[in-house]
Order: sequence, then structure tokens, then C-alpha cells
Amino acid sequence: MAGLFLAFNACSTSNSNEEDLSLTPINTVVIDGYTVKLSALDKLETGDNYLFWELEKEGKSIDIETMTVMPMMDMGTMKHAAPFKTPKRYKERNRYFEGMIVFSMPSGDMGSWTINFTITTKDGQTIEGSIEVNIASSWRFTSVKDKDGKGYFITWAKPSVPKMGNNNLAILVHTKESMMSFPAVSDAEVIIYPFMDMGSGEGHSTNFTAPVSKGNGLYEGSINYSMSGTWTTSVQLVVANDTLPEVIFEYSVKAK
Amino acid sequence: MKTIINLFLVIFCLSTASIAQKRTITVLDKMSKEPVINAHIIDGDEKVFAVTDVEGKVEISLEREIFKIHSLGYIESIIVLKETDDIIYLIPTILQAGQSVMVYAYGEKKANIKDYQSTQSHHTLDHFLDNIDGVAMIQRGAFGWEPSIRGQSDQRMNLNIDGMQIFKACVDKMDPISSYIESNNLSKLQIDKSGSSVAENGNGNSTINLISKKPDFAPFSLHLTSGLRVPDQYRVLALNSNYATETTAFQVSGSIKKADDFSAGRGSVIPNTQFNKMNLNVGVKQLLPSKNSVEVNFITDKATDVGYPALLMDATKALANILRVQYNWRDTKAPFQLTTAMLYGNTIRHWMDDDSRDVTQREVMRNMHMPMYGSTGTIGSKITGEATALNHRFEWFLNGFMSEANGDMWMISLDPNVEDMYIYNMDEIVTKNVSLGGRHSFLLSPSFLVKIEESASFTSLGTNSDNYASMFESLYNKAYAPRNRMLFSGSATAIWFPKDNWSLSLSSIYSERLGNHIELFGHYIYNYVDGYFYDGNPWLKSEKSVNFELNSTVEVENHSLSLSVFHKQYFDYISGKEVSDISNNDFQFKQYQNLGEAIMLGGEVRAINRFWDNLKTEVRASYTYAQNTTLNDPLPMIPPLKGLNSITYNFDTNNITASMEWAVAQTRISKKSSTESKTDGHAIFNLVYTKSLFDGSLSAIVEFKNIFDTYYSEHTSIASIPEAGRNGMLTLKYHY
Repeated sequence: MAGLFLAFNACSTSNSNEEDLSLTPINTVVIDGYTVKLSALDKLETGDNYLFWELEKEGKSIDIETMTVMPMMDMGTMKHAAPFKTPKRYKERNRYFEGMIVFSMPSGDMGSWTINFTITTKDGQTIEGSIEVNIASSWRFTSVKDKDGKGYFITWAKPSVPKMGNNNLAILVHTKESMMSFPAVSDAEVIIYPFMDMGSGEGHSTNFTAPVSKGNGLYEGSINYSMSGTWTTSVQLVVANDTLPEVIFEYSVKAK
Repeated sequence: MKTIINLFLVIFCLSTASIAQKRTITVLDKMSKEPVINAHIIDGDEKVFAVTDVEGKVEISLEREIFKIHSLGYIESIIVLKETDDIIYLIPTILQAGQSVMVYAYGEKKANIKDYQSTQSHHTLDHFLDNIDGVAMIQRGAFGWEPSIRGQSDQRMNLNIDGMQIFKACVDKMDPISSYIESNNLSKLQIDKSGSSVAENGNGNSTINLISKKPDFAPFSLHLTSGLRVPDQYRVLALNSNYATETTAFQVSGSIKKADDFSAGRGSVIPNTQFNKMNLNVGVKQLLPSKNSVEVNFITDKATDVGYPALLMDATKALANILRVQYNWRDTKAPFQLTTAMLYGNTIRHWMDDDSRDVTQREVMRNMHMPMYGSTGTIGSKITGEATALNHRFEWFLNGFMSEANGDMWMISLDPNVEDMYIYNMDEIVTKNVSLGGRHSFLLSPSFLVKIEESASFTSLGTNSDNYASMFESLYNKAYAPRNRMLFSGSATAIWFPKDNWSLSLSSIYSERLGNHIELFGHYIYNYVDGYFYDGNPWLKSEKSVNFELNSTVEVENHSLSLSVFHKQYFDYISGKEVSDISNNDFQFKQYQNLGEAIMLGGEVRAINRFWDNLKTEVRASYTYAQNTTLNDPLPMIPPLKGLNSITYNFDTNNITASMEWAVAQTRISKKSSTESKTDGHAIFNLVYTKSLFDGSLSAIVEFKNIFDTYYSEHTSIASIPEAGRNGMLTLKYHY
């Protein structure tokens, strides 16, 4: 009986760690007998994407100790990386490692994305390789340059599916130091203005809270959508007293 | 021979016993101590079984311990006869219900300064209400006028049917509750202008209670009405019928009405003023062996193709289903007595669109169609009774209801590249209320009566939609929870009789109200008076009001005069405040806020005089001064000094009434809290001729309104839509 109880608790613990995850398989590669599986919350698209890595061998889950990644866009004549967060264990005792990558352009004729990775298992084995990913275009990513030509990446992280009512707003800001380095920008002022164009340019805004920096390039605020339909939100960065040109996000707000 | 003798003895004994079981009582006027002549003594089956003589005397069988006495000019009394009762006093109706006025519709006959009679049941209820002093109708076209009492409408007054709580479904106020009942299925109106009936209503708001026709234990009757009006081709066909057996009574009334666009003065046709309407009211009443009774009443109403020229849209369909079940207890004078217990339920559904409008030219919401739908569903109960405590008899009222309101709107652009937009004006908004009230009368002396009423109610307002709630959380930066509030109201009325037929009364009323479901949880609701979109505010403070009313009424045989003056002050007055940061030239927004104080003061006068038994004159006038004292700005939609004068002459079977409806210019307009325009004064003249045929079983009525084809509009007509110009109507009424 005690064994049954322990087994039941063990299963419960495992399930409770994963029950809130509904993942979409992205791709799988086999390296040296290890199967590296990549999943995500949804299909990958430009903007921020949360990626879930797991490792298996002969059908059994293998615990990952550490992991590093490097997203890479191969455009033929040139290559570049993208802003990312190094994967970490998703939850205690969970088999997933979770990371985030801001894909700055879609896959297609211009080039293709791969993610180079290095995984170290708990028993000291190292698995290195790359995995191809297909990135779709979305409205949630754009970029702007300052007067000196320095590029800034602006990602609409939340809400990914805006709905009528109050929505928590999260915006990520990164800058381009080099083709392989895109550090977060945490000291900018982010000015937004949501607007509902109801036709012929006539429309109105709604009440909102301007995003403020929470560190690591994350800015949080809120927008209270008064109706469904197509909304635009202009975003303007002020970095070191330099007001950058305005960029516009255009998206559809659902009723519920 | 022996058999005959025995039979004689039996008859003698029976008749002797019968004589021995009768007693004589005298019915006197409580005030004057004069006999009340021709008072009807009515049994539990509503049948008259005796009438008082010239000395006010009547013989009553001792077996009849409980009965009713009814006489014109007196409050109907239920009597529980004791052995020592030889004299019964009737209280003159002059004492009745403070300043409530009773308006009797089709089939009722009363003759009191507080009674109004609708002799023209073929007209809409709206026109009838509009001519009552102190009442004005807010108009959006030819249909669905919204009553206001002393400048207070909607959330600041109670508008009920048979005491039931019913919520309109249209957020644009196209369907006030009065639009779901017809004058031909209306028995009477109870209008409490001062709001002193706190115990029954659960608050101190002014009240219009529309009392529908009920089954009556009376001989079979049938009323048929048919009418045609030009030039708007208004057609009406109405039926009323009542049938009763010993223990069961049935009643049915219904009407079909249809009108095309009406023409204003000088012939200009006002488009989008047409309407179609069907109304049916059926009821059954069952007397039980215990002399208690139960009644069931159902009203269904359907309006289609209703134009609203003052609004952006027209109503394509409005449906109401209203069910009421009521149990009535006979009066036992027990220490704790149940009088009535009513259970009710109703659903209101309302569809509107602008498909027939040119949406490219209007000032707001251009280049899009906006179909809207609204619905409300309400269930409730109303229990009344009497109780005795500390040798004091009082009436008590226990009311409760729960209602859910929903409303939404699509915005479909003419540009196919623009995504359809959708909005919730009300999303799963739930109102719950329970109230307990008491009414006490103290006859301190034969000429001094004091009435005290109090009410405590618990109201809860909230939304079951988390998304919808989040919108208000963001607007006001507060965490949402349903708004629960205890509300208290009370009134005190002192009535003094310097002379037998002269009363002076002073009423004071304190009332609290939580904002209604639209003031707290409405979203993006367009106000056609000021052109702003309104958002509710769940965190409003309760609005309070203190009202004082002084009335003097004199009523002698052929002349009567009633004069009322009032002063009402609002605290934490709820009104819209502009939200400038999201408003622009095309869209302007307001949020409900508590905006300081407001006052309303004014009065009404009504005089009725009869001369030579066949000539009657009537004068009605009313005025309201209303000011937001915090903003130093007149309140909007306040009617100017207005009135009605009429003269009626009867000869043989003919009746002629000439009347003048008038209003002075309204120059006190709201500029800060609204954007009103001034309105010119006007006077229109009407003539009605009625001919009774075949001993009164058939009546022909010819009516001309606005004879001189005056072009005018009421100040309470939104967008200053003009009133109807010259029109004529022929009505035939058959009565069996």
C-alpha cells in the first residue's frame, strides 16, 4: 500500500510540473544516439518564442545538466544571430529546458534559421549539433534605427492574442552590437499610443498604462481594449535622450 | 293538514331565525360624521349584496363577518365586523397615499382630483402620460416615449408594471417599460411624484406603476375598438373581454397598431417615425374555498419596424414576455397577515440596426453599420402583508429580484478592408436586490394624519465576465468585486384638514440609490443628448436625495383644486465627466462620477370645475427648475412651464372637448454637463367629438389634433424632432 501511495505521489508530482504545458513539436535531431527534441508553445514566428528542449536516448528521458544555444540566420552571403535567453530547467525535476529566442526575420528566400546547441548531460556527456527551424512572419516584431544608424529590435511579447478588456502589455527591446551580439536595452523610455481606426482615419484611443522597464530589456504596461477589431499601437523609444522614429504594430483584437 | 302546519312552522322558524341574525350598521364619513349614501357592501366574491340608504344604514347578516365597503370618494375598506360595531367610518380618499395620483384607464370611472381618466384608449399610453401635470415624455420619435416625473427619468424614477421590476433591454433607451403595455390593457396608473411610497418601492424615487387589467368577477363584457388617423395612417384594432363563473374569471385584451411616418406642422414628413405593434394580455383568477384567490397574468408584446429619427438606428424588433402569478389572502386582521405574494419573471429582447439609413453622412460613427442587440431577464417576488406590534397595525413589504442584462454592438465598415468591430455595452451584468419596508399611519386626531414609511434594501451589482470586469479595473485602477451596498430610505407625511374638504400635507423623503447597471457597468454607450460615449463606474458612491413636498387640495361637489410645490436636493449626484485623454473631435468619452450636488424645485397645479352638470373645465400646469449647483449649470432635458387647458360640454348623447396644450420657451439649457439647444414655446389646439349610439353600446369619436398645423417641438424631444402637425382620427368603439 505504501508503495502504491508513493507511486501515486510521484506521478502526481511529475504531472503537476507539466500539466500547464501544451507544446507544439518543432523539430527533432539525432546526434550520437541522443535524440534532441525541440518544442514550443506555438509555431515559431518572428518576435519572441519560448522554446522547450528535451533529450532522450533509446526512448528514455535523459536529464540535462546545462545547455547553450546560438540562433543563426544563414543568408548565403552573410550570417547573423538573434537576441536570445540561454535555456534553463523549466521547473524543478522537469525534463524540459526552456529558452527564448527573438527571431528577427522569417525563413524563406532571404535565408534559413538554425539553432546551434551544446548540451551537457548529468553524467558528463556533451552533445553538440544544430537543428533547423522554420520561422513564419508575424506582426509582433519590428526594428528601428537611431540617428547614428544603430539598430533596435522591438518585440511585442504580450499580449500575443489581444482580447477585449484589459491586457497586460510586455515589450522587449534589444539592440544590435554586432552580427552576433544583441544585448537587451533596459534604460529606454517606451512611449506607446494605441488607436482604433474605425475607417477613414477616424477613431479613438483607449486607456492604457505606459510600459516601464523591468530589466533585461523587458518593459511592462497594459492596454484596455474597448472593442474588438483592428487596432494599431505606435511605439517610440527614447534612448539616451534620443527619440527614435515611431514604429507601428497593427493587430486584431478578439472579442473574447 | 298536519304536513301544512309543520311546513308553516318550519318556514316561520327559519324566517324568524333569519330576522334574528341580521343587524343594522351605519356607515359614516370619518371626517364629517355625515352618512355615506349608496356605499356598496361587497362580499368575498366581489359581488355587491347591499347598499347603504340615505341615513347611511344597511342591514347585514350576522353570518357575514368580513366584507368590503366601497364608495366613491372614500378609501375602500375591508371590515371585520365585531358584535359591538354599529358604526363604520370611511376615510375620504383625500387622505389616500399622500400625493399619489391614480390614473384610470379604459372601463374605470372615478371622479377625484387625484384621478385622471383616459377617455381615449385608442391613443398610445405615451400621449396620455404626456398630459399629466408633472409628467413629461422624453421622445426619440413617435414610439417608445420615456416618462420623466418632475425632470427625473430612467435611473432616478421607478417605472414598473404591476409592481414588477422590469429592465429595459436597449442601452439607447428605445424601450422604456411603458412601451410594453397598452392603454387598452391598462387598468390604472399609480403615480407617486414625491416618492413617499418608500415602503412599497424600496426607495424614495418618483414612481409610475402601470396596473394591468385583471380578471373581474363581473358579467361577460366585450369591448372592440377600431380607429384610423390621417395623415400618418395610424391604424388600431383593440379588443377587451372578461368572462367569469362563480369561482373563475378570465380576461383577455389585445391590440394591433401600425403607423406610417407622421407629418410635422406645415406638412413636412418626418422620416423613420413608423411603427408596428402587437400586444396581448391574458389573465385568469381563481377563487378558492378559503376565500383566498390566485391569479395568473401574462403579457406579450412585439414591436417591429420602429423608426427613431432622433437616433442613429431603428428598432427592427422588440419582444417582451411578462409573467406574473399572485396569491391573494382574504383579510383576517390576524396579528401577522399575508396580503399578497407575487412571483414574476420577464424577458425583454431588443434588436436594432441602421440598415435603412445613409450612414455616410452622419456626424458620428460614419461609414459603418451598427446592428445592436440587448436583452434582460428578471425573476422576482413581492410579498405584502400587515402586522400588529405594540398595539400598532402596519403594512409591510418584502421585495426581491435578480436580473441579468446583456448588450452588444457590431460595427461593420462600408470599407471591406476594415475588419468588423464588436463591442459589449453590457456583458453578463447581474443585479440582485432585496428590500424590506414598513408603512405606518397614525390618525392623531380626526383632522390630523401622519404617515411614516421606511425601507432597507440590499443591492448587489456585478458582472460575471472576467474580461468585462478587467476593463473597469483598468479604467479606475481598482480591483474588481461585485458592488454590494445597504441602502436606506424613509418618508414622513403629515396631513392636516383645516376643513372637511381641504387638506394640507407636507411630505419629506430621504432616499439613497446605487447607480443602475448602466451607470456602474455600461460600456461605450452613446448619449444622444450630449454626443458623448459613456463608460460606467462600479465605484460610484450612492446618490442621496432629500425631497420636501407641500400639497393643498380642496375638493367640493363641483370644484376641485390641487396645488403642489416641491424642493429636492441631490447629494453625490451621478453624472458624466469628460475623459479628455482619449477624446477627440470625432469621439468624445465620459465616465460616470459623483459630481457634487443638484437641486430640483417646482410645482403643479390642477383645477377641475363643473358647471350646470354638463360643462367641465380643467386646467393643468407644471414647472420644474433644475440646477447642478456644483457645476452651476441647468440640468438637461428639463421641460419648461407647460400645461393643458380643456373644456368639455355634454348634451344628450354628445360630448365635445376642446383643449389647448401649451409650453413656454425653455431657455435654461445645460451647457456644461450637456449640449442642449433652446426650445421655442408653443400652443396647439385640439377638438374631440364623441357620439354615443344604441344606448351607449357604440361610440364614434372624431378627433382633430393640432388644428392650426403648428410646427413645434418639445424640449424633451431629443434632437428637437418636431411633433405631429394637424391630424384627424376616427374611432369606433363597441361595448357589449
